[in-house]
Amino acid sequence: MSLLTASKIGKNFGGVVALNNVSLTVEKGEIVGMIGPNGSGKTTFINNLSGIYSPTAGNFIFNDEDITGFEAHVITGKGISRTFQNLRVFPNISVLENILIGLHCKIDISLWDVYLRFLKTRKIEARAREKAMKVLAIANLTDSHDTLAKNLPYGKQRLLEICRAIVSDPYLLLLDEPCAGMNPVEMDDLADFIKILQKRGITVFVIEHNMRFIMSVAERIIVLANGLKFAEGTPTQIQNDKKVQAIYLGDEGDL
Amino acid sequence: MKNTIIEQKKPFNDLKNTKFKSVLSLAKNKKGLFVLLTLVCILLPNMMTNMYYLGIINYMILYSILCMGLNLILGYAGLLSLGHAAFYGLGGYATAILITRYGFGFLPAMIISGIIALLFGMLLGLPTRKVRGDYFCLLTIAFGEIFRLVAQAWIGFTNGAMGIVGIPIPNILGWSIRTEVDFYYLGLMLLAFTYFTLSLLVHSRFGRAFIAIREDELAASVMGINTAVYKIIVFGIGCFYAGLAGSYLAVYQTTITPSNFRLEESCLMIIMVIVGGMGSLLAPIAGVIVMTLATEYFRGIAEYRMLIIGVIMVVVLLFRPQGIFGTSAFKG
Repeated sequence: MSLLTASKIGKNFGGVVALNNVSLTVEKGEIVGMIGPNGSGKTTFINNLSGIYSPTAGNFIFNDEDITGFEAHVITGKGISRTFQNLRVFPNISVLENILIGLHCKIDISLWDVYLRFLKTRKIEARAREKAMKVLAIANLTDSHDTLAKNLPYGKQRLLEICRAIVSDPYLLLLDEPCAGMNPVEMDDLADFIKILQKRGITVFVIEHNMRFIMSVAERIIVLANGLKFAEGTPTQIQNDKKVQAIYLGDEGDL
Repeated sequence: MKNTIIEQKKPFNDLKNTKFKSVLSLAKNKKGLFVLLTLVCILLPNMMTNMYYLGIINYMILYSILCMGLNLILGYAGLLSLGHAAFYGLGGYATAILITRYGFGFLPAMIISGIIALLFGMLLGLPTRKVRGDYFCLLTIAFGEIFRLVAQAWIGFTNGAMGIVGIPIPNILGWSIRTEVDFYYLGLMLLAFTYFTLSLLVHSRFGRAFIAIREDELAASVMGINTAVYKIIVFGIGCFYAGLAGSYLAVYQTTITPSNFRLEESCLMIIMVIVGGMGSLLAPIAGVIVMTLATEYFRGIAEYRMLIIGVIMVVVLLFRPQGIFGTSAFKG
């Protein structure tokens, strides 16, 4: 039984067909990559999966549960976390506070507890802080825990966003173009980081343009073009696929 | 004999010096500063001779409570509400009616007024799902105006434009609150209550959720925060304090009229929050102090009062948009 099964996903925006009959599975513990030219529907796919949009057709089954059309905050509660293509850290608060917001679902404090059960609240908050610091340690961000997120260098902000997504121990992590704006060294570090996440039991689904990155990180690749699933296979198979090469001709994607 | 008198004076001088020094050193450490401030607050009325000035301080305490509640909505959650005075007036009317018409005691009336303001505040949080940004702000203005017009028109219940008069002296467990000094201590207790409860809230995951909504609502929802519900919560809680303040106003002024709901009142509160600083718990108090002192100083030239208020706001927005003590989130 797969961790995630997407069946015949379709998404229309008015007259525009962004996704058309896309079906795929993600197995537990995998690192799956999704590639495709600009406008092929990759981000739309993740937006539909994470609950920002509702698919017009098809469904998503996650951990044996139909999560199609659920709201974003509910889907996060089910164990799917994501990052954004255009980086959405919370700029004016510290790195640590960003991570703590990532733990929102896991901090079991009600309003009642806030006002009337100080000891319980203090204990749970302390535990949350410990967990947050542990995650920062894995990403080597401990020294910056008090820095405002907007004052971090770009590469570290990207890392922060990923840390914020994993602190709640999700089953599935969706990364939307995590390499955008990174230099090759940062990309290699990120690839290593993703492999560490896999060892910790997190299943990863990555959208990326950068071929070298995807080939080094993904175990299986799905190719999207014009809203349709175009091809699927191992990195080597995809690299050698003439049809895939053809759809990238004339595009900025480097092969 | 001369020697003994001089000798007697010396130890007293030494004592005075050491007392003064120990007070100063107390001020240097944070906890000490807190103790010092508490002492000053408690002893303040004894140091005042002119009750008019204590009246101004009471006015400032009242607005501090209002603005700290508004700061939760505007500074922490980033929601612009120009209808805050509606809940202030609602609390006032609720207390006035409960006391004069149904014989409630002051304390129960105040608590119920807070709850009524909280419930209506939650109502204001509802449309944020469908209505955003500038349009939502217009909605809050409309909300405020509706309350004021209902208070004016529903003569049978609210006594219309005349308002409710003759609200009796409040009594809490035997303590009659009648003088400026009594109201000072009542106000101070309410302010302390406001500060401590807000502090608990903003340092919890709820406070962080409000901040997340302000910073990036989409990202906040992806963090698992039900933004629609949290906006309703923040309005409810922020308006609760407005209700308490309104309750205080009712017994302080002994009257409540629809003019307590005016849009100008809401605007003044917003200006105080902006000037004092948004997103930081005690910052609005700075704004309250600045604006109150400014309007007091220019009381003689009443027509220019509004001009002064406007000028101060423009200056703040130009040179320090986050306000005196605000967080960098509002730097522009």
